[in-house]
Amino acid sequence: MKRFGVSVAVILTLLIAACSSGGSSSGSGSGSNGQVNLVMWMGYTPPPPASQGAEYVALKDIVTKFMKLHPNIHIRMEYVNSDYALQKVTVALQGGQQPDISYQYGTNMPQIATASQLVNLTSIVKQPKYGWSDFVPGERAVATVNGKVYGIPALVDNLAVVYNKTLFAQHHLTPPGPNWTWSQLAADAKAISDPSKKIFGLTFPADGSETTVWEYEAMLWEAGGHILTPDNKKAAFNSAAGVRALTQLRQLQQAHALYMDFHPDAGTSETLFNSGKLGMIITGPWDLSTFPDVKYGVQIMPSWDPGGSHQTIAGPDNWVVFNNGSARVNASLEFLQFLTTPANLLQNSMATGALPTKLSVQQLPGFSQFNVKYPGAGTFAANLKNVVQARPQVTQYPRVSAALGREVVAAILGQATPQAALNSAAQQADSYLVVP
Amino acid sequence: MWRLRRITESEHAAGWAFAFPAVCLIFVFGLVPVVWSALLSFQRTNLIAPGQWIGLANYKALPHDPLFQASIVHSLIYTALFVPLSVAGGLLTAVALNRRIRGIRIYRTAVFVPVVLSTIATAIMFLWLLDPNFGLVNYLLGQVGLGPYGFFDSATGALYSIVGMTVWGWIGFDVIVYLAALQGIPQSLVEAAEIDGVRTWSMFRNITVPLLGPATLFLVVWSSINALQLFDEVYLLTKGGPGTSTYVVVYYLYSLAFSQGVAGYAAAIAYVLLVAILSLTLIQLWVGRRLVYYAS
Repeated sequence: MKRFGVSVAVILTLLIAACSSGGSSSGSGSGSNGQVNLVMWMGYTPPPPASQGAEYVALKDIVTKFMKLHPNIHIRMEYVNSDYALQKVTVALQGGQQPDISYQYGTNMPQIATASQLVNLTSIVKQPKYGWSDFVPGERAVATVNGKVYGIPALVDNLAVVYNKTLFAQHHLTPPGPNWTWSQLAADAKAISDPSKKIFGLTFPADGSETTVWEYEAMLWEAGGHILTPDNKKAAFNSAAGVRALTQLRQLQQAHALYMDFHPDAGTSETLFNSGKLGMIITGPWDLSTFPDVKYGVQIMPSWDPGGSHQTIAGPDNWVVFNNGSARVNASLEFLQFLTTPANLLQNSMATGALPTKLSVQQLPGFSQFNVKYPGAGTFAANLKNVVQARPQVTQYPRVSAALGREVVAAILGQATPQAALNSAAQQADSYLVVP
Repeated sequence: MWRLRRITESEHAAGWAFAFPAVCLIFVFGLVPVVWSALLSFQRTNLIAPGQWIGLANYKALPHDPLFQASIVHSLIYTALFVPLSVAGGLLTAVALNRRIRGIRIYRTAVFVPVVLSTIATAIMFLWLLDPNFGLVNYLLGQVGLGPYGFFDSATGALYSIVGMTVWGWIGFDVIVYLAALQGIPQSLVEAAEIDGVRTWSMFRNITVPLLGPATLFLVVWSSINALQLFDEVYLLTKGGPGTSTYVVVYYLYSLAFSQGVAGYAAAIAYVLLVAILSLTLIQLWVGRRLVYYAS
């Protein structure tokens, strides 16, 4: 009896120790005194000391300002890498531990919209104080799934061509103008490339991820193509436009003018561009601050034919709200409304170089300093008008994108012809799209 | 009453009581997920919204999925290379290290270090070393007129580069197991063989290798399970690419479940893998029981 008693005591101690250390770490709700505690996941940059990211500091400033105005609301910022925010929230939802506010990529929206805990914002954003119609149309499209609004735009960017002015001058090339074409870009890239010196004309993300795919999609749209058919039931990228875009990339690779970046997350292309080893990089405004050592220019995407479309792709991200009781939902909405007032958006843009998510910010008197402080960012801001299409808002998109990414890379490497690769991707995509 | 007293005072009760916390952990983190993923494999679910029961549809779709087949082929090629290379390499290294020479502890530690290093650190190191354009290895090969090779960035070479890197990373584990087993070879047998004039190679072939049988069987089984579950290196180095050249089963099911919202189908793949690993292990143990000599 004695021995048994001892073991029971040991077990109970262990279990209590195990439980007490893990419990109630994120179970903060609204207290009896009207205090509301919110958890916000953000993934721009890790908080200091891991990095001194301007994005973190700028957001923290606005959070602090908000909490001063609303002493009964406390917001805890938690860093969650945006690349894994969907996985994290999936797990959190399983355990009922969802945050109040979460930063999510636009491509995650159709998946997240299936969660019953996600707050439908359709009627809320109609209130004038949210200034919904002031958001860029492409952002609103990505915040909306099946006609219902689930997100408040958090960030908008777009792709344009950043080029090394010094390399262009060295090879006596005319810098790209707003009416330039892909054949011009290809000729420039080939002229600049010098394999013996490890200099490449253009870099392309080749990990087959969404980073690969969205760059290809911009080229596809410029050529007049579409990702899916209008009813989102079948793939449409294996068209003449799709083949034209992919053939161009394959030709550049064959000419040793294309740097295949198999690890775009690692920042190799940015480092190479900043070391003068790359003539051009197709990227967004977030990258400009990583090029302090080169004289660079920014130009909008080329068109396929003279006078053709220069459209680009935007990757708008959203803030979404999860239901943890009405007090916390209301406080979250209050904060998001505050975060997206034109004045605060301007403050954030000036602090981080991010494009303002509302168009009216570009009319504010302080905005003229934006392109002075962040050279080239003005071109990206103006380029928002070239955002005319959005990626299809369907749950199958990530899987379709993965198939397209694999085949695009295979075709550039010459493992299949562009047409065969796109047909194979389309066949896979069609099989995914028939499953709801 | 006396019955209860007998139970509570028995060794069994105390034993189970002490094992109880571990049993709980295995139950929560082992058994529950196994049952839960079995249920998932009969559903269509993205893990966010409630799933729909679809019977065997996930399993029926498997034979028509070219990427699943490619993943199986890559996993098998990887296993067929990784297991013999790491086990044989481990054996030879262990025999080389099983002697009394100056600084032997340093060599043994050096061989074991890669096992303790985190995969992310070794992956980044290899990524830099093997970069096709700017890596040290291609630079050195270039000095003697070879290359450049694509390594992880080449559709034909990426899988073999991962084999090379993981053999380097895991060989230390095999060495430690073999070194321990080598200590267990009876000195009397070795001395008797020496008196009989047995040569070094013959000694290795006919005495060392057979007596290491149990260790070899363990390493083959353990390495095969590990190899079929290859994930970290693929995730960190190639993300299945270039194209589909390094898609292996676990990476494929991970990408389906956690980035593409097809968790039910991924669970079906996981179950096929579970059955495959279980069968392979049983075959290995069955064959091993016939081949391995257990000295008592």
